[in-house]
Amino acid sequence: MSFVWFVRHALVAQFSRLPPAEQFLRHAVDAGVGSVALLTLLIFFAGMSLAVQGYGAFVRMGGQEFLGLFCGIGGVRELFPVMAAIVCGARIGANLAASLANMQISEQIEALSVMGIDPMRYLVAPRLWAVVFTMPLLCAYADVVGLSASYFAAVVQLGVDQGTFSAQLREIIRWQDLAVGVGKGVAFGWLVAIIACYHGYRAAKQEGAAGVGVATNRAIVHSTVVCIVLNMILSAILYA
Amino acid sequence: MPEPITAPAIELDGVSKAFGANKVLDDVSLTVRHGSIMVMLGPSGTGKSVLLRCLVGLLRPDAGRVLVYGEDVAALDESRPRDRARLFALRRRFGMLFQDGALFDDMDVGDNVAFPMRMHTDLSEAQIRAKVADKLRRVGLSGVERKAPSELSGGMRKRVAFARAIALEPDIVLCDEPSSGLDPVMSATLDELILELHRTLGMTFIVISHDTAEAKKIADTIGLLASGKLVTYGPAADVFAEGQPALRQFFERSTEGPIRVL
Repeated sequence: MSFVWFVRHALVAQFSRLPPAEQFLRHAVDAGVGSVALLTLLIFFAGMSLAVQGYGAFVRMGGQEFLGLFCGIGGVRELFPVMAAIVCGARIGANLAASLANMQISEQIEALSVMGIDPMRYLVAPRLWAVVFTMPLLCAYADVVGLSASYFAAVVQLGVDQGTFSAQLREIIRWQDLAVGVGKGVAFGWLVAIIACYHGYRAAKQEGAAGVGVATNRAIVHSTVVCIVLNMILSAILYA
Repeated sequence: MPEPITAPAIELDGVSKAFGANKVLDDVSLTVRHGSIMVMLGPSGTGKSVLLRCLVGLLRPDAGRVLVYGEDVAALDESRPRDRARLFALRRRFGMLFQDGALFDDMDVGDNVAFPMRMHTDLSEAQIRAKVADKLRRVGLSGVERKAPSELSGGMRKRVAFARAIALEPDIVLCDEPSSGLDPVMSATLDELILELHRTLGMTFIVISHDTAEAKKIADTIGLLASGKLVTYGPAADVFAEGQPALRQFFERSTEGPIRVL
């Protein structure tokens, strides 16, 4: 089964009819709510690190008042969405790949097929919709948490002027940046989900339990690489 | 309208299938009559499960035709949307008991058995629950609806899988090694179950097995597959009377004969 074959059938399954609501909700809650705690923790520290690193560099030139610009550009346009995609992508992708690989090696996917139920429609499409729906929300949430953490580190810890920091954030962050962040979230979400579903779906029964590990590993590595490369390409197109 | 008793449910015509250089089915032709119990015997790794998967289009043969009530499954290409829809419709005529049950582990027993009914019928939840209870009673597992598959023994999992396979009362039930991994009493219980369902619901059974006792007990048609070739096939009484050497070797559990393992 080639990746192209899988993507073609997944797209047909995804857009030919709405996914079963119960399946969609289950996966959306798992992907979204299940990722919030981890995402909050990591993005909060990343946001603080961004402010601390920026302050360390700017203060030497007496330019610490530009910290708001730095955190706005570096955080909202780049770091927070891509970190959200990588952190949540790894967690969600591993879940999707492992569950589908387990179903494949235990013949549950064949059982669905024999019952006359299209596994692409029943298993893959709801997972794609769920991650496409939740990833932009997670990216937007990451922006809020990351900026709050940067603000906390800059204003409360490092003593940067609160008014200047906020004004620069308002100056540099446009609505388009937030829209791009959400758009990136949709793209990251679909890619993470399709890559994870592909690796889980193609696990071979003969590989046994090892096949679940292989599928999970590939899903995480491939989706991480693809998200970082896509982010760079989008940045080059939108901001260069 | 029910199929006449003598109509062919399945016809295989010159079916061959290879994986690389390994030819697992070599020009296999046979007919399974509607309402019969066909047992396909053979040593492990000789293509029995591949044969089963060709019947439902999970695998496409390299050559030959696989007719299910006259429609060629082998001609349907799952990668083409129209064929895919036809194939999935055709598969609804089958129920399949997988070797390890293949129960959905994110559902409890009741939901597993109810699943095909929820997906393919307009029955109310109360009607579905009643049918689930009936199917579980038939396999001797009343009252286990709320148990998770992981809480069941191997034999119980297989019986639940059996209940799921017959949930829609399909025309054809495929059983992949129903007795493998089961103790003799549990195997005999499953055999009785097949005979009872055959008697009461008139289903066609295709059973893949290497259990000779099971074959003797339930088969009205019997075949032996060895090295991908159909060595013998026909009504059980005729095949036993014929005394084909490979079949005799199989039944006598002998290492001497045409079937070579080592």
